[in-house]
Amino acid sequence: MKKLLILVYAAITVSLMVWGFYQAIYVAPNDAMQGEIFRIIYYHVPSAAVAFFFFAISLAGSIGYLAFRRNSPEKAQVADAWALAGAEVGVVFCTVVLITGPIWGRRAWGIWWTWDPRLTTTLVLWLIYVSYLLLRRFSAGPQMQTLAAVLGIFGAADVPIVYMSNRWWRTQHPGPVFGGAQGSGMAWSMARVLLWNMGAWFAWGVFILILRFVLERRQQKIAAAEAQAALEA
Amino acid sequence: MDQAAILDHEFLAAAYVVTWVIQLTYLAWLAYRWRAQKSASQRASKSASQRN
Repeated sequence: MKKLLILVYAAITVSLMVWGFYQAIYVAPNDAMQGEIFRIIYYHVPSAAVAFFFFAISLAGSIGYLAFRRNSPEKAQVADAWALAGAEVGVVFCTVVLITGPIWGRRAWGIWWTWDPRLTTTLVLWLIYVSYLLLRRFSAGPQMQTLAAVLGIFGAADVPIVYMSNRWWRTQHPGPVFGGAQGSGMAWSMARVLLWNMGAWFAWGVFILILRFVLERRQQKIAAAEAQAALEA
Repeated sequence: MDQAAILDHEFLAAAYVVTWVIQLTYLAWLAYRWRAQKSASQRASKSASQRN
């Protein structure tokens, strides 16, 4: 039953990805100003939204770990696994954002990169979560988990700054398309395609997030069993 | 097709390809770790049963 559910979910995800790609390349109209290059938005924006969502999961996991670590170690381990999975999958999506953005910028602005607030705060966000993953990779024990949880909370504080950066400051990066100033927004023929791709990347992200979570829980159980065996030896 | 349109097309293709390469590489890495973990836990349970 479990296997069947996984297969159905994977099939829905793949169908959404194919449909989203078809819509982005063959159905959505070219942008009047930017032409075909504007279609990068259908991968760039959903990747950013999904990265933010997974960093929020990492934040919730980090808070959960700190809350449960003394009274309920098992719950703390589950929360820690969610924190790690959220951070890692978030970094994958944030990497996509940081690569597709400059590719788009090179054609739209004529430059690969500029130290504009939106780009810089996104790079800082990526660096914080990469350092989170490095901390987890190269140290061990409950002290590491506590430090990582604190860093995870600190990193998540950058998410609203990234989101608000093109509202608070004048940026090279375009202003917000949704919920921005008067006159912002998108034609429904494009917004519809963006929503399809948002759903597709969200489904894909949840799939790999759950994979990573299960992997980490197994790793925790193996480590606990090894520690137990070492004590008994 | 003018030069600008060709460049736009190439940059768009590059962005989409890079996205898929990153995502599929990460998925492959997860699958590799999954297999490695499975065989490691099988080895551990085998040696534990031999000890008992």
